[in-house]
Amino acid sequence: MSDATAQANADGAASKRRLGVGFWIAVFWLFIVFFAATFAPWLPFKDPDNNYIVSGERPPYAPSGTHPFGTDQDARDLLARTVFGARVSLTVGLVAIGMGMLFGGFMGIMAGYFRGWWDRVISFVFIIFLSFPALVLAILITALLERSLRTISITLGILSIAPVGRIARATTISFADREFVLAARTLGAKNGRIIIRELLPNVLIPMSALALLGMAVAVVAEGGLAFLGLSVEKGPTWGKVILTGAGSRDLQKAPWIAIIPIIVLFLTVLALNFAGDRIRAYFDVRETAL
Amino acid sequence: MRYWLQRLGVAVALLLAVSALTFGAMNLLGDPLFNILGPTSASTLPEDLEIIEAAKAEYNLDDPLPVRYVKWGSAFVTGDFGVQFSVDGQPPVSDLIKERLPRTVMLLIIAQTMAVLIAIPWALFAASRADKAVDKVSTVTSFLFIAIPNFGLAVILKYLFSLKWSIFPLIFNAADPFWTRVWQLVLPAMALALPVASVYQRLLRTDLITTLQEDYILTARSKGVSKRNVLFKHALRPSLFSFITIFGINTGALLGGSLIVEQIFIVPGLGTAIVEAILREDFPVVLAIVMIVTTAFVVINVLVDLLYSLIDPRVRAS
Amino acid sequence: MNKNDIIQSDRRIESGEPLLELIDLKTHFKTERGLVRAVDGVTLSLKRGESLGVVGESGSGKTVLSRSIMGLLPSTAVKHGSVKFAGQDIVGFSAKQMRHLWGAEMSMVFQNPLNSLNPLMKIGKQITEPLKLHLGMDKATATATALQLLRDVRIPEPERRLNQLPHELSGGMRQRVMIAIALACGPTLLFADEPTTALDVTVQAQILDLIGEQRRDRNMSVILVTHDLGVVAGHTDQIAVMYGGKLVEHAPTKTLFANMKMPYTKSLMRSIPKLSDPSHTRLATIPGRPPDLVNPPLGCNFAPRCMYALPKCHVEEPPLTPTADPKHVYACWYPVGSPEFEKRDAELQATGYMPEDFSAVS
Repeated sequence: MSDATAQANADGAASKRRLGVGFWIAVFWLFIVFFAATFAPWLPFKDPDNNYIVSGERPPYAPSGTHPFGTDQDARDLLARTVFGARVSLTVGLVAIGMGMLFGGFMGIMAGYFRGWWDRVISFVFIIFLSFPALVLAILITALLERSLRTISITLGILSIAPVGRIARATTISFADREFVLAARTLGAKNGRIIIRELLPNVLIPMSALALLGMAVAVVAEGGLAFLGLSVEKGPTWGKVILTGAGSRDLQKAPWIAIIPIIVLFLTVLALNFAGDRIRAYFDVRETAL
Repeated sequence: MRYWLQRLGVAVALLLAVSALTFGAMNLLGDPLFNILGPTSASTLPEDLEIIEAAKAEYNLDDPLPVRYVKWGSAFVTGDFGVQFSVDGQPPVSDLIKERLPRTVMLLIIAQTMAVLIAIPWALFAASRADKAVDKVSTVTSFLFIAIPNFGLAVILKYLFSLKWSIFPLIFNAADPFWTRVWQLVLPAMALALPVASVYQRLLRTDLITTLQEDYILTARSKGVSKRNVLFKHALRPSLFSFITIFGINTGALLGGSLIVEQIFIVPGLGTAIVEAILREDFPVVLAIVMIVTTAFVVINVLVDLLYSLIDPRVRAS
Repeated sequence: MNKNDIIQSDRRIESGEPLLELIDLKTHFKTERGLVRAVDGVTLSLKRGESLGVVGESGSGKTVLSRSIMGLLPSTAVKHGSVKFAGQDIVGFSAKQMRHLWGAEMSMVFQNPLNSLNPLMKIGKQITEPLKLHLGMDKATATATALQLLRDVRIPEPERRLNQLPHELSGGMRQRVMIAIALACGPTLLFADEPTTALDVTVQAQILDLIGEQRRDRNMSVILVTHDLGVVAGHTDQIAVMYGGKLVEHAPTKTLFANMKMPYTKSLMRSIPKLSDPSHTRLATIPGRPPDLVNPPLGCNFAPRCMYALPKCHVEEPPLTPTADPKHVYACWYPVGSPEFEKRDAELQATGYMPEDFSAVS
């Protein structure tokens, strides 16, 4: 019996070891979105700020050959606005999670490796930040400062330090007592070397899955801030594009203004969540197999 | 008992730290006078100068920052949140809070109730059919709901159920009778509840599956207890621990979410209040709302701890 | 199937007729690796009031056997053969039909009393639950009965226990509660699956005595599942030794201890810890691993680990053969006492080749 279950587990592990078709579909979608966002100015999109008014007809115009996603009330092309909005939303997401990984990861590893006083201070700082409902802290900072891309990105970056750091700390603690770390220590390796050579690679794996999930959270947070009038002031963002169509009258007459960008946002968040989830499942197996 | 004092101490320390951070941000990011009065602060008109003097006095702007924090903090604890300088007659902020807070709280209560009422039966259903086709469908469904941001869901729900099919009312009217208002809040609450219910369901399902493999479940079955009662009477309660923790954490997320959803369904709650205040650059209102929401979050998490020990007697014993 | 039918048919059973009869019972599990033959053709019978010890190492199929009889198996299990309980074949019963038997007619005491009681339910409620369910008792009657049951299993201060939770009781106490629950509705058949393994040595004997005493008082049949021959010695009427899902020796208890036939039974005997041993004496275990139940060996299941195995053992499976006493059957080509066995035994003694754990006890 025990042999059989062990074998069954191994089989299950083998199926988990594959990332699966869904993962590649998610990656494909993310690739399209990132590609379009990165090269938007050089790709044949319309001008996101131009008013494409057709004489004799009142905007908003429904989706058509000229405007695949339709236009908003000012006859601005929604496909272009969605793509250029992605530039802002994705930048916010990348900067936010990048800051989270850098500072949160550093603080978490330090706390988890050195423990003692370091750990107590850093953990308390994490707890303070986690005691704010994240959006409320974002409201506070963005309301006080000018609403530039930099402020929003950095604000969301600060917010992602504590959640990322807490996981980095927990992962470090779980690895710090493993044999290979102890072995390195008994061989006389210095702390810095142990952290970089032994701990970092192992902590980075679970963090990379977290990065994708965190990016999704940041992209959604930008949308939330937009609904409070706190998103980036200049140019389109996903949240602002959705907001333009979210009023009752617009939603009734021209549902595409809000709903198409919502679908794009939803698919992106879904792809980020799914890819992150798959990576986590994929590497969990390797970890247990060690 | 000692444990509770410790918990209480941590909560108080957290509230102090959080309020210091909030207050500090308000006073250090930008000119505090501008933050309180907006453009008026730079005005040289005599009637504005009067307001400036009043604001300086009200917020003790001539004192050093730590003194101001202590004065502000002790006033805050007594429910004195300052004055709304942007509104004629300069009414106290607490008036606004008294009017708006109950609506947000009601929205949250309805949302959490809905989320729990959806999540528990859903999780029981999925766990009792673990890894069968229905369970897989339910897992995918929950994954999709988790990925929808609440403002997106709110817009879609409003479009479908208020505009297209007119099932739910479009407008919240504070003058309507209680149950009518509850009915008006169902749709906004659903926008908050569905993603959270999916999170609860996923967690509870996993915990239920673990519990169902425990020996005492076999004991219950060997006593002849029906499958249904094994689930409800024996498996559910021991599976609720992490559910309760996540319930507390999500209350914070819902607080944030409700601020946004209020915008979409035009519910005049704290969310709308904060947006109006930001537009008018009336920061004492923002400060008060941020502090109230944060305090509520910290308090809820302490309460969750308390609840935790009530449902698990083993915590009390140790 | 009506609940009353089952109970009445059972009440008609006179002592003397078998209460439980297994005919060629097989329980197989479908796994990704193939079919696991956890129980592979077991035939035995048990009279009302009798007790049977089922003995074997872990993985021998003894626990699966008891759960197969009771019908408490995961959905991946497939059963063949027949299980007659009180004259009725219950092998194809659904969980819904079995529910009327569970707790009422047959009940089970599990190995680990720390896990087998619901940690969040008061002891009283856990005992009264089957009373209300099967006997339709009201709350007051059920509580009174629960009190009596706690007294029957000798729990001090029973009134106080009713409102306590499992974690407030010691392991031995919890196992007594478990027994009280199992006895609550007066079952005719009690399964005890390693009931003492998780307990202190001093408590073990008390629990076994308690089960024996209740068996006599209630004229109840008991199936005691254990890896420890010492446990069954004084507490059973007959013993069935299992290996690799099969019965390899089956006899009345006294006969078995007087005249063991299977080398496997003999080695189980050697692995009993003795109270007289100094503590930390290495426990004699049987070298090697239990057989693979997906691809069992061609001949005797035990042959790969048997020091007395001869070529025939590896190719041909021994049938269950009776001894002079028809109640004593065994499955071995060269049983203890046969010339081949004695010859090999002499060789082993002469060469001094006795594995450490074997010689440690003898």
